[in-house]
Amino acid sequence: MNPINELVSVKEIIVCAGSGGVGKTTTAAAIALRAAMDGKKAAVLTIDPAKRLASSLGLKELSSEPSKVSKAKFTSAGLKPKGELHALMLDTKSTFDKVVLRYAPTPEQAERIINNRFYRNISGTLSGTQEYMAMEKLYELHADGGYDLIVIDTPPTRNALDFLDAPKRLTDFFESRVLRWFLLPYMKATGGIMRIANVAATTFLRIVKKIVGAEVLEDTAEFFSNLEGMYDGFKQRAQDVAALLKSDNTSFVVVTSPAEDSVTEATYFATRLNESGLPFGSLVVNRVHPSFGEPIDVTPRQLRRLQEGDERDRLLAKLLINEDRFRGLVHLEEKNLKGLARRIPRHLWVRVPYLQTEAVDFPGLIEIAERLFDGEAEAV
Amino acid sequence: MNIDEFLDPTILIVSGKGGVGKTTVAASLALVAARHGRKVCVVEVDQKGTLTKLLGGRSATYEPTELTPRVWGVNITAERALAEYLEVQYHMKRISRVFTSSHFVDYIATAAPGLEDILILGKIWFLEKGRYTEHNFDTIIVDAPAAGHMLTFLSAPMGLSDAVRVGPIKRQAEWLVEMLRDPKRARVHLVTLPEEMPVSETLETAAALDGKIGISAGQTFANAVYRPLLDENEQSLFEEIAADGSIDELCKAADRVGLSLDGRDLEALNGYAGFLQSRRDIQADHLARLRKGKGGVIDLPFLFSAGLALPDVESLADVIEAEVASL
Repeated sequence: MNPINELVSVKEIIVCAGSGGVGKTTTAAAIALRAAMDGKKAAVLTIDPAKRLASSLGLKELSSEPSKVSKAKFTSAGLKPKGELHALMLDTKSTFDKVVLRYAPTPEQAERIINNRFYRNISGTLSGTQEYMAMEKLYELHADGGYDLIVIDTPPTRNALDFLDAPKRLTDFFESRVLRWFLLPYMKATGGIMRIANVAATTFLRIVKKIVGAEVLEDTAEFFSNLEGMYDGFKQRAQDVAALLKSDNTSFVVVTSPAEDSVTEATYFATRLNESGLPFGSLVVNRVHPSFGEPIDVTPRQLRRLQEGDERDRLLAKLLINEDRFRGLVHLEEKNLKGLARRIPRHLWVRVPYLQTEAVDFPGLIEIAERLFDGEAEAV
Repeated sequence: MNIDEFLDPTILIVSGKGGVGKTTVAASLALVAARHGRKVCVVEVDQKGTLTKLLGGRSATYEPTELTPRVWGVNITAERALAEYLEVQYHMKRISRVFTSSHFVDYIATAAPGLEDILILGKIWFLEKGRYTEHNFDTIIVDAPAAGHMLTFLSAPMGLSDAVRVGPIKRQAEWLVEMLRDPKRARVHLVTLPEEMPVSETLETAAALDGKIGISAGQTFANAVYRPLLDENEQSLFEEIAADGSIDELCKAADRVGLSLDGRDLEALNGYAGFLQSRRDIQADHLARLRKGKGGVIDLPFLFSAGLALPDVESLADVIEAEVASL
């Protein structure tokens, strides 16, 4: 059976992962679309604010709440979906606000955090926040959304691994001893012993103050003291999310292109999934150059004679050179992919060749879905 | 355009969305500059060393290392730039280790967004001025962070010089603004692929650079453009042959040089030619969109070698030299 087909029929969550520019978002959308065709209530959660995806689904824009893709969109493409397709985009800020509201002991404290300047910067700049909130949103959708299947694409991190480490990085940051130590003089109600310990910190502070300004320090201190008592909640949730990702309900689909760097990243990612005990489901190899037949053997001498011949000969020479170039490329791509086969058995692969049109509209997505679901698994 | 004019600004910032070949273009520009007698420094920003390896070196460090004749490489991280800044500004060598823990830099980046970028741009400024380094570079090529991020990267000093009213940071941010806005000192070249999303994003980025950020954009490099296979006559001959079913004309031509082609071979030849044509058609639309924008567009050929190594970079450098001359 085709591996993607199998995953969609038994899983509740599919996470599409891989390096940037390999078609993760499109793959995620195509999987959800096909699941909807087959009768599931499916949602695609994207991280990428791709306007194009919204418009290709007939939506004005993607918001942080799911919008349903209209039946008319399917009908106009000659399709009759048995289920429903919903799409939404991650809004890091509003997801984080919800987390704060959930774990703050009082609404007043939540409000103080949400209005804090340091907090407002977090969603935009602090590394790991986006990844953490993507997981949070996924958890929420899974728990309350009533979906049969949720497909999510992962943030375009430079390093695909950042995604797996994000929740831990973020909770570590909030609990960082270095930060607490140097912010202590700014926090209220510090004990005598603490003050002595912080004599050293004052030199430190003087300079930080020069660099970022006193106001910024006060904002940060206020943020951290308001956050006291919420760490356990954060941690608990991070553990719940991790458990969900490791459960039988979830599967990871690694997306790659046959380019060397992308394959390296995919290999590494597959290894990491394995080490982290996360369930690997399938490998999608996108943007593969198609092969049109067996190689043609031409000697340089034959080619030269054709190039020196009449117009028809020269035409043939060019066609042969073109064949040789693409053939060489196909060969190189195969070579790049070979190493990946040692990590990921070929019966879990699905290939999506470069199509002769761009997959930027609804019919394009349908075509990708067909390739994903109906393509034969690799022969072993 | 004269190549010396093209290489006139000391700092060439190469930017674009991830996966478009930005690093390859940066490496090729480095070779072009070196060929024209410049002492070049290629700058990676917190990267894995792809750029330096492409130029035949090992992973770059914070200190310049020579990669290939006249081309040096550095890798700037915010941590190291902060340590250096503290050392030269406040003579804080010992304590700077605590400051430069990754949590602290994360904190700084969050507390004062943009500060991290300014530290990196500050190091580039040091390199341009030849400060705290024994080198004097004629050309500094920066492999900038990916596009969305790039605008924040380049506008960081403007933001900070507006936000801070007094003090050394204010003055230093202003120096960086001057550096970036002076077309004699810095120029931003954008790299893109002739595809839907990359072209749209490049046009948006170019407009934003010109507009609210006030940095003059240089050339746009359209990467991986398929070159045409057949000229006009050959194309019509090919269509003619294909249309009236006299495709075995080609078999006869092959026969004469001792090459035997069967129907499947002809299908393959036809298939690859058709594939190339359909990809070229897609690219043509996007290239046309790109050319409607401001500034020159330099097409770089699709490389069938696919692997990236020094010879590929050399051949792209040849193309850039020729294309610049014809601008």
